[in-house]
Amino acid sequence: MLLRYIGRRVAVSIVQLLGLVVVVFFLIRLMPADPVARLVGLNASKEAYAQASHSLGLDQPLLTQFLQYFGLDGRGGGLLEGHLGVSWVTNGSVLTEIGQTLPVTIQLLTLSFIITLLIAVPVGIAGASRPGGAFDRGVFVYGLFGGSQPEFWWGLMFIFVFFFKLGIAPAPLGLVNPMDMPSEPITGFILLDSLLRGEFDVFLDVLWHLALPTLTLVFILSGPIIKMVRQNMVRALGSDFVLYARAAGLRESTVTRYAFRIALAPALTLVGILYGVMLGGAVLVETVFSLGGIGQYAVRAVLAFDYPAIQGVVLVITSISLGIYLVLDLVYAVIDPRVARS
Amino acid sequence: MTMPLDATRQAPASAGQSREADLAPAILEASGLTVGYGAPPPIVAGFDLTIRRGEFVGLLGESGCGKSTAAYALLGLARPPGRISAGRVAFKGQDLLTMPAARQREIRGKHIGLIVQNPRGALNPMLRVGRQIGNVWRAHNAGSATRAEEHAVEMLKLVGINDPKRRTEAFAHELSGGMAQRVLIAIALSSTPELLIADEPTSGLDVTIQAQLLDQMWQSTRRTHSSVLLITQETGIVANYCDRVLVMREGRIVEDMTAAAYRRAPRRSLLGAGNKAKTLATPGEDDQAAPVLAVDHVSRFFPVPGSTKRVQAVSDVSFDIAAGETLGLVGESGSGKTTVGRCLLRLIEPSEGRVLYRGEPLNTLGKTGMRRIRSKLQIVLQDPYDSLDPRWSILQTLSEPLKLHTDLSGAGRAKRVEELLAQVDLPKTVAALRPRDLGSGALQRINIARALACAPDFIVLDEPTSVLAPAARTSLVELLLRLQAELGVSFLFISHDLTTVSQICHRIAVMYLSQVVEVGTTEQVFRDPQHPYTRALLASHLDPHPEERRVDRAVQERLAGEIPSPIDLPKGCYLQSRCPHAVERCATEPQKLVRAADGRMLRCWRVLADELGGSDIPLVHDA
Repeated sequence: MLLRYIGRRVAVSIVQLLGLVVVVFFLIRLMPADPVARLVGLNASKEAYAQASHSLGLDQPLLTQFLQYFGLDGRGGGLLEGHLGVSWVTNGSVLTEIGQTLPVTIQLLTLSFIITLLIAVPVGIAGASRPGGAFDRGVFVYGLFGGSQPEFWWGLMFIFVFFFKLGIAPAPLGLVNPMDMPSEPITGFILLDSLLRGEFDVFLDVLWHLALPTLTLVFILSGPIIKMVRQNMVRALGSDFVLYARAAGLRESTVTRYAFRIALAPALTLVGILYGVMLGGAVLVETVFSLGGIGQYAVRAVLAFDYPAIQGVVLVITSISLGIYLVLDLVYAVIDPRVARS
Repeated sequence: MTMPLDATRQAPASAGQSREADLAPAILEASGLTVGYGAPPPIVAGFDLTIRRGEFVGLLGESGCGKSTAAYALLGLARPPGRISAGRVAFKGQDLLTMPAARQREIRGKHIGLIVQNPRGALNPMLRVGRQIGNVWRAHNAGSATRAEEHAVEMLKLVGINDPKRRTEAFAHELSGGMAQRVLIAIALSSTPELLIADEPTSGLDVTIQAQLLDQMWQSTRRTHSSVLLITQETGIVANYCDRVLVMREGRIVEDMTAAAYRRAPRRSLLGAGNKAKTLATPGEDDQAAPVLAVDHVSRFFPVPGSTKRVQAVSDVSFDIAAGETLGLVGESGSGKTTVGRCLLRLIEPSEGRVLYRGEPLNTLGKTGMRRIRSKLQIVLQDPYDSLDPRWSILQTLSEPLKLHTDLSGAGRAKRVEELLAQVDLPKTVAALRPRDLGSGALQRINIARALACAPDFIVLDEPTSVLAPAARTSLVELLLRLQAELGVSFLFISHDLTTVSQICHRIAVMYLSQVVEVGTTEQVFRDPQHPYTRALLASHLDPHPEERRVDRAVQERLAGEIPSPIDLPKGCYLQSRCPHAVERCATEPQKLVRAADGRMLRCWRVLADELGGSDIPLVHDA
């Protein structure tokens, strides 16, 4: 039953992804842009231009390019075999490049979301226990204040205070000390790799470098999530079944657990949506701290009209988002049995 | 028992206490209890009450008088943002409102059990009900989780749930309303409380289930000598179960009397003092004339998505309605009454069979033909507010059918709207108002006026009185009787409120599980019900009786269990699984609707073969 549901969802996701790839493939080629000129420069000779155009395959008819990209033209090596093509700018495999940049972003986001939840859930519950109280109002002001200003601004402020003024944070120049030689990646996630190797000094160093970007994201993300948890908690605490649980003499801890479980589900949905959005949207924070994440890679690809890279990024980010939504729906069904049956 | 029995009984908090139970010690006393939600006036204002050991007290009040708020306040609780701002509640002499929270918690659930209306909302939607019963029990009793599970099964068995082991695995949304209410009773009684507070425990339930539940509650609490405070709007419930009656109005108790005194007070009743005989118009004398509406073997089923099965909503229903006649359609919810009403107007297409309007089959009519007849066949729905567009003024609402079906000018329409408002006893100033400005009684009159706009011959009234307060209900019935006498319009009156049906209907069709099981005159059906289902339905009807209570006499005709699913229907008689008179043959032989010699139609071979006693009607078969 469950496996069939997951299977159906995955199948639908694959169809959605294929459709998306097709749409993106044609849409970027509709752009009034000339990637060849971008590559060889405006002053290149006709021959050089033609040669570059040929080597990128852009002199072929659109349909041929399309079949080639999917690997349906008989030569193989296309998307259907898992190849995302070669970047026009770096001549590196797009898959490899995404493999290097994506873990950076995922690591940052996952850490940020875990810390955000650890803060937002208790704060939201505390606010809901006394709506309109001093604590609740303070949190409300914080939500407005934190959420209304762009994250890069907060990032810069934090750098100014913690690095420049106080000197307790590292320079915003990436995840590792520029003087260290990075080891060969195992999973691509530096935190995980350092632990696997037993290099705890590297692990702590990376955590230290991640502190400010994570703080920036937590600062931005906790506002809406606290608000969501608080709102749902207020509603749950005012609901019939919580009132009845009190009337039945259940312990206050049991009552809070009852209410929290029902307040949790919508908050998780919000977390999932924000996670998907932030995959591409963390670019500002990545740039401010020179982290080299997938967002920065995407921006670079767009600016260079690097079609294979753009397509690769869209495909990967969308797959991750769809995966997150699937997991969320499954978690939702575990939390709330009413969802599972319908 | 942790509570010392208070030997020095407190003086009664309010005047006019009953004398019956004066000697028993007070369990719960409230005085000056006041609960408000921010802005004044408070919902409960100066509420006084005393409940003695072993007493069954009824608290009667209309919706909005603060009954439910008072029920929670007696436990020291208020729904946020509400607050108990003044007063005292004493449980066996100890002040419940000022004692430490841990002590309060001990009394709630252990010494005072609570049952509320909307039981499915009161259960945690995310936990299996067995766990919930167990959680409450473990909050008050020392015991392992396994012991709590066992106790949950025992409690469900005690409140009359079949297969209790399996039911502990269910979630609240998987239970019927009646079943969920039993779970709440199981929770409330799980620690054998000394006082049970039941806040409209049967609102929204069918009469047969209501009687089952209240009987069960009465027996359980008598066995444990618990006191009960039963809060309700239904005079019938109070009159049939309680020792003492309190009446609540605007947040305080305004009357306090013994149940015997309450029952003797003059009140309306079934086929009562004859206000109906005076006002019920006799339908057209001419028996030969074609009926206004004839229903000819109509069935309707709905496919079940993702399965080859189907829901049998209506099975082979036939009846006629004469000009100026009211036919009542009664039965439990889920019996198919509403689907029949909609099939008559082709709001739902019948799967089989025909509906004839003045001899003309409706099913074969095209769009234009149907539109012509639409103005003659109207419907009034249950919820008066939902049936009106909230953004339209009453003038716009009532003008709409006139625009569609007549060629009146704007001024003509305005004049007709005034006439319509006068017909339903509303001032013409109402035309400028919007639905939110009116109460549900007035809104239902607007719905009736809209149905009357194009002078129809026939109106389906689908539970038109069920959301109305008792006073509005009575005046709406009077209005319908007057309209029928003046306009000669026919009604199909769908309802499960037998009192109203008995006042307004000429004939009654009783439906059970998609079938009509008995059709007869109101006199026949109410005075001498024949079909076992009709008998049980009337036996469940809690009408105030001046001399005795339901609990004082032995009730023979009662149904077991709940209405089965209309997906897997029984092979033989549909009632067989619940019928007290079922024999082997009933399980195999499908029942046909057959005309008895006294003119009524019946679907029970045992009644027709005169095996059940009670009447000896010679029978002839329906052609």
